[in-house]
Amino acid sequence: MASREVIQYEGWPSKVFKWFSVVFIAFYMVWTVLPLFVMFMSSFKDLLEAFQIPPVGDWAGVTVFFNFTPTTKHYYELFANLGFSTYLFNSLVAAGGSAVVSVVLGSMCAYSLSRIEFRGKSDLFFWIISTRMAPVVAVLVPLYWIFRELNLVGTLPGLILAYTTFNLPFAIWILKGFFDNVPYAIEEAQMVDGATRLQALRAILPLVAPGIGAFIVLCILFAWNDYLFAAIIGSGGAKTLPAATRELVQPQNIQWGQIMAAGVVTALPMMFLGLIIRKYLVTGLTMGAVKE
Amino acid sequence: MAKVSFRNVWKKYGNVSAVKELNIECPDGSFLSILGPSGCGKSSTMRMVAGLEHITSGEILFDENPINTLPPKDRDVAMVFENYALYPHKSVFENMANPLKLRGQDASVIKERVTSAARLLEISHLLERRPQELSGGQKQRVAIGRAIVREPNLFLFDEPIAHLDAKLRAHMRGEIKHLQRTLGTTMIYVTHDQLEAMSMADTIAVMHDGELQQLGSPREVYNKPVNAWVAGFVGEPAMNFMDAKIEDRAGRTHFVHPNFAIAVNDEQQRIIASGARQDALRVGVRPDALSISMTKPPVDHITGKIFVTELLGGDMIIDVDLDDCRVRVKTSTEFEGVEGQTCYMTVNTNKWHAFSKENGKAFF
Repeated sequence: MASREVIQYEGWPSKVFKWFSVVFIAFYMVWTVLPLFVMFMSSFKDLLEAFQIPPVGDWAGVTVFFNFTPTTKHYYELFANLGFSTYLFNSLVAAGGSAVVSVVLGSMCAYSLSRIEFRGKSDLFFWIISTRMAPVVAVLVPLYWIFRELNLVGTLPGLILAYTTFNLPFAIWILKGFFDNVPYAIEEAQMVDGATRLQALRAILPLVAPGIGAFIVLCILFAWNDYLFAAIIGSGGAKTLPAATRELVQPQNIQWGQIMAAGVVTALPMMFLGLIIRKYLVTGLTMGAVKE
Repeated sequence: MAKVSFRNVWKKYGNVSAVKELNIECPDGSFLSILGPSGCGKSSTMRMVAGLEHITSGEILFDENPINTLPPKDRDVAMVFENYALYPHKSVFENMANPLKLRGQDASVIKERVTSAARLLEISHLLERRPQELSGGQKQRVAIGRAIVREPNLFLFDEPIAHLDAKLRAHMRGEIKHLQRTLGTTMIYVTHDQLEAMSMADTIAVMHDGELQQLGSPREVYNKPVNAWVAGFVGEPAMNFMDAKIEDRAGRTHFVHPNFAIAVNDEQQRIIASGARQDALRVGVRPDALSISMTKPPVDHITGKIFVTELLGGDMIIDVDLDDCRVRVKTSTEFEGVEGQTCYMTVNTNKWHAFSKENGKAFF
């Protein structure tokens, strides 16, 4: 097999561009990582230490930033007195639950759309995707009314249903692409080998596993980071981490230390999740046809 | 094992008829090849037998039982797909074990059957590998292995060796034929390659535009094509066709063309006299029924000009320009003519054919 690298011939524009890209990536890293770093450090600082900032231009003063006595009191406060363990649980159940429901329904629906010809199929598919085109706020008021009538406001099933409403079209859209890439002959071979249609579907699931993996991450991320639904549908009985964090901003004082700690608690699980399934996430969304 | 019968089978996709009024009997244990160009309906036919397509009308029977409404798993057929359709996430062993596993066989039986099939196909050393680690020929053997691990009613092979290189293809032709003879299972083999059909099958069904053109042994199809289309499709290099007029000269029917006037033999004269009430027809001559020389022969002959010569190792193919067409002649490598020279060809009139100009039907 020939080399797949793009060969390059160095001239001065490419050298300049190379330097430019290094500088750009450095800035981009600072831009994205620094806030997280500050959040992480500040969550272990007392309020007074957290606000010690050197004057502009005093580069030597940067050491002030690292000059503090670490404390876990913000974390202690969150979990001992503010009920964050419940909120963490709520977040996990809402995100995980909606991911599971969406992936089960989504893969069956995507399979049907991929394999079966019926009248109005493309219209149906477009309608499913189009439900994602309107902004969430546009449907929030009627949705709230429906949920209230069904006594789902402030409950975890209600929150799972709300997230599923928005994740399912996404699941169908992504997974249909993956099913389309599995040659139909593989299922036909299964059926001739003696499988029923359902057994044949189960047999090709491993081939769409990267798609399912990638989708689960995206689905969990959406639900985990969501604030709007959490604040409106989940308010009261099913408070999740972002909604709870928002409540730390009170009219009389803003609990900066606790907000930073809550930010870390919210961000860390997703970072771990990302690390674990990084492989799926990269291959999943870029993978082409299934290689036989 | 089973006899397979097609009775008035039609396949329609909307208004398009892919298979029209198909009637074939394939005896138990025989090797039937369905031959035709792409789009002739041969794959639709096979997929109807497998149960992957509905039969629009008519009946397909295994022995005397109609199978129209049976799902694929209940037909007990084994199929080898054109693109092999191996399960990419499973090892070779698991691929071959799949049909047995789905039928709930014991692990020990599965192991024994898979190993013996693997030995037969000489892929024992590959059982742990995955399909993407195999070459085309090996994948194809695995696909065949998956078909033979159980003893099905019927084998269905859908252009299984079309994607192999020429040398391997020639090798696999022999292997598949031998395999079918050894196992004695009825085989339906779909191909667009007339050489595969000729060399392997007991019976060839030639299809064109959804219609069965001719059903017969390879010899019959080659020597007695029923129409010009079959004659042109079967045989390589293809048959030469020349438009000719029928003329009586001294009491003997001649086929007359600007480049030749050749007398037919007695039997042909009788056929022309009784059947072909027309003054023009198409003459078909296979390249090996012509002999070419640089000296004018004393008998009826065709005069032409050499266009190009091709050496094929053991034989030579000469393209000769006539006034209104070009013909190809197969000859020995001793032939010494060069491009642009005038040459003379004699016809073995026992081996030539005449077709109607209107509908292509063969007179002889």
